[in-house]
Amino acid sequence: MVKINQNYKIKMEKITKSFGDFLALDDVTFNLDHGEVHALLGENGAGKSSLMNVLSGIYAPDHGAISIDGKVVKINGPSDARFLGIGMVHQHFRLVKSFNALDNIALTINQTSYYSEKDNLRHKILKKMDEIGFDLDLDSPVGLLSVAEQQRVEILKVLIAGASIIILDEPTAVLTDEESKGLFKIIRFLASSGTSVVLVTHKLKEAKEFSDKISVLRNGKLVDTIIPGKLDDEALIKLIVGEVFAEKPQLSKNFGEEKIVISDLNLHRSNHAIGLTDINFKIREGEIYGIAGVGGNGQAELSTVLMGLTKLNSGSIKLAGYGDITKFRTDQRRKCGLVFIPADRQKYALAGELSVADNYAVAAILRGDLGSWMGVKKLGKQLSTVEAIEEFDIYGVQRLNQNAALLSGGNAQKLVIAREFSSKPSVVIAHSPSRGLDIKAAAFVHRQLLAARDAGAAVLLLSEDLDEIMLLSDTIGVINRGRITAEFASPADRQIIGKAMVN
Amino acid sequence: MSSTSNINKRKGVKLEVRDPMSFTNKFIVLILSIFTGLFISFVILILSGVSGSALWKEFVVYIITSEKNLSSVLIQASPFVVAGLAAAVAFRARFWNIGIEGQMIFGTIAATYIAINDVGPEPTRLLLMFIAAGFGGVFWILLPAFLKIKLDVNEIISTLLMNYIAFNFLLHLLYGSWRDPSTGFPNSEQYDVSEILPLLGWQSLNFSSVIAVFLVIIIFWLFMSSRFGFVLNVLHASSNMARYMGIRVSLVILIVTIVSGFLSGICGFLVSSGIESRMTQSFFIGFGFSGILISFLARDNPIGILVVSLLFATLVIGGQSLQVFYQIPFAMVQLMQAIIVMCVAASEFFIRYRLIFSL
Repeated sequence: MVKINQNYKIKMEKITKSFGDFLALDDVTFNLDHGEVHALLGENGAGKSSLMNVLSGIYAPDHGAISIDGKVVKINGPSDARFLGIGMVHQHFRLVKSFNALDNIALTINQTSYYSEKDNLRHKILKKMDEIGFDLDLDSPVGLLSVAEQQRVEILKVLIAGASIIILDEPTAVLTDEESKGLFKIIRFLASSGTSVVLVTHKLKEAKEFSDKISVLRNGKLVDTIIPGKLDDEALIKLIVGEVFAEKPQLSKNFGEEKIVISDLNLHRSNHAIGLTDINFKIREGEIYGIAGVGGNGQAELSTVLMGLTKLNSGSIKLAGYGDITKFRTDQRRKCGLVFIPADRQKYALAGELSVADNYAVAAILRGDLGSWMGVKKLGKQLSTVEAIEEFDIYGVQRLNQNAALLSGGNAQKLVIAREFSSKPSVVIAHSPSRGLDIKAAAFVHRQLLAARDAGAAVLLLSEDLDEIMLLSDTIGVINRGRITAEFASPADRQIIGKAMVN
Repeated sequence: MSSTSNINKRKGVKLEVRDPMSFTNKFIVLILSIFTGLFISFVILILSGVSGSALWKEFVVYIITSEKNLSSVLIQASPFVVAGLAAAVAFRARFWNIGIEGQMIFGTIAATYIAINDVGPEPTRLLLMFIAAGFGGVFWILLPAFLKIKLDVNEIISTLLMNYIAFNFLLHLLYGSWRDPSTGFPNSEQYDVSEILPLLGWQSLNFSSVIAVFLVIIIFWLFMSSRFGFVLNVLHASSNMARYMGIRVSLVILIVTIVSGFLSGICGFLVSSGIESRMTQSFFIGFGFSGILISFLARDNPIGILVVSLLFATLVIGGQSLQVFYQIPFAMVQLMQAIIVMCVAASEFFIRYRLIFSL
């Protein structure tokens, strides 16, 4: 139900923000009511984060006015925003990992004395936790807490600081379904007690289910503000991407020989961390083998073991045409045609301070395709990068020597894929390849994986997104605590797979 | 909210993160900060009693107008250049080689061994000394390199401590079997003519300058166009990505340490055979750490290292005159180096942030 109320909690009027030539926000007017949960939907780069960064004082808008409770305010920085009762829970948490929750919260509020007010603060936090039904260990280092618990620390941080407006940036990106449900219960509770909540998300489902209003941003413009339930999914997607768009499963038509055979892989890790236990599976040419599972159940370990980046304790990996490659180093495996799209592209797949051209050409240069050891062919490097940028539709490259760190998530991932597919791969290992990408970019990634498969590659897709697994996989394995606990041929039943993931 | 209006009136200085700076702008900031450092140093020198006109004469006029002083600067600059290159090569792979001085000592010990035992025929003596010096330096970096690669021992500590071992071993030789038999002083006997780098025919300028320039060209090629240089760039920017792309990080570090150790050894050889004509107790003093500073100021760029080395050499030669004519302690030269480095380090701040004054 939407209250009719002209005295909005926050009015952001005609906000414009540009970065160089790029218009991130174009005349956006956004109103937030008292005690409502307002979802902000849009693709990556649509302007959601920019708008919220303006509200929380991180960006100064070029034009436009912000008023809170009917009074025009000027927000000059995050501390101003905090003072005005605006609190933001960032997607990437801002916590000191070695401090406990209490100290992390103490850091953000201006106390006169840390020691004398510590007990006071603890009481305040416990009271707040009691009020909203949080359960949290305040005394162990935050780094040891689960992701969901760390998020609770972040939420407590803004609540204790006295926020009456809370911005949650992609809060469920790192949570399991169960944890997400718990989070939304708390969000609803906060809203019912008068707090206004902005939910930045690109997940349609949660926006529809848990918000009072949905505003859709596209290309820096606010397209529409609607009431959930008034529009069906198709119409909503059309608002978001500007066209109707739905991917359909395309199963492989012709499997070839067994390409890669993995037998009895074991990886022991210290401190009872999840390793790998007796992993067995094989992938044929022209097959996508999807591994479903809740994050942190051994996916990262499996992918790095296959690339030779992590040493395994026992087991063997056989590759058609090369035999046993268990002892091969990473460079040797790459020479055999293995390519890798790691989950954390910023950390492992790209070097942010190197140029786009260097990031693209590194594979070819290491292969020896661009010049000899005596000299790298600079022109060849530039030209091949230009070709890749066109072929893979990479936006946001103004100069070839611009740092790769400046690319947005989707375009960074396109660059990674362009590089990994620059030689014809025989085995593709892709870990959460569309994580954090918008609908269009994700579809692009999916098309590339299907194209590689149809060209005869064996594709291993590890993803925490079950929809992605269901959409692409020809065979589905379920990984749970480092074991493959079930295997299905597509099309398989979603419910049964879901059950196998959590059992 | 009455306090809302207070916020808008807040005064003072604010920080804002800048867009990444262009190469040209970074270069301008670097030059400006070096000049700021020089300016502060000169103010200190003036406060300690040297007149401004004397500074101008000692550091600029006499260096440019006197062929003798100019050649002294060039001779002094050669080992600086090579020490800077040794540091730069290691730093490109993020191997923090603090042990350049220790490697210089072992380079010189190896060269001196060839010299005092007259190994090989005379015409090849210098070449042999050159090669021996390089491998002497390599010998002294291998242990820290292996400790780093195999056991992940912090190379800053291990290379630093290796300096002290090298120094004491040097003293052991100079007070023991290698003491100069003709004078009894604790340095090696003087090198023969065939063991001293030949003069080039202009003032006292000798072959060490040619070696330094040659090495600059080699390292410039290595960094700027060779495939290995590209690998170093990748490793420097992200060791994670390097590993994921199949670059053998341990092997790269091993190669880099070998090159760095070799250059350090050569640097020792340039001092003993190019300046001192013998191995002394203190031929290496200051070069190792100056090399690190030079490489830092030049951002690991070989051409930059050449330029900064000339600046440092000018400071040393000018400082020597100040010492003689104005009784300014030589430590003042090190102070000047330190001030310049601090100014450049501080300039990083202005490359990342912009200050906004709202009054």
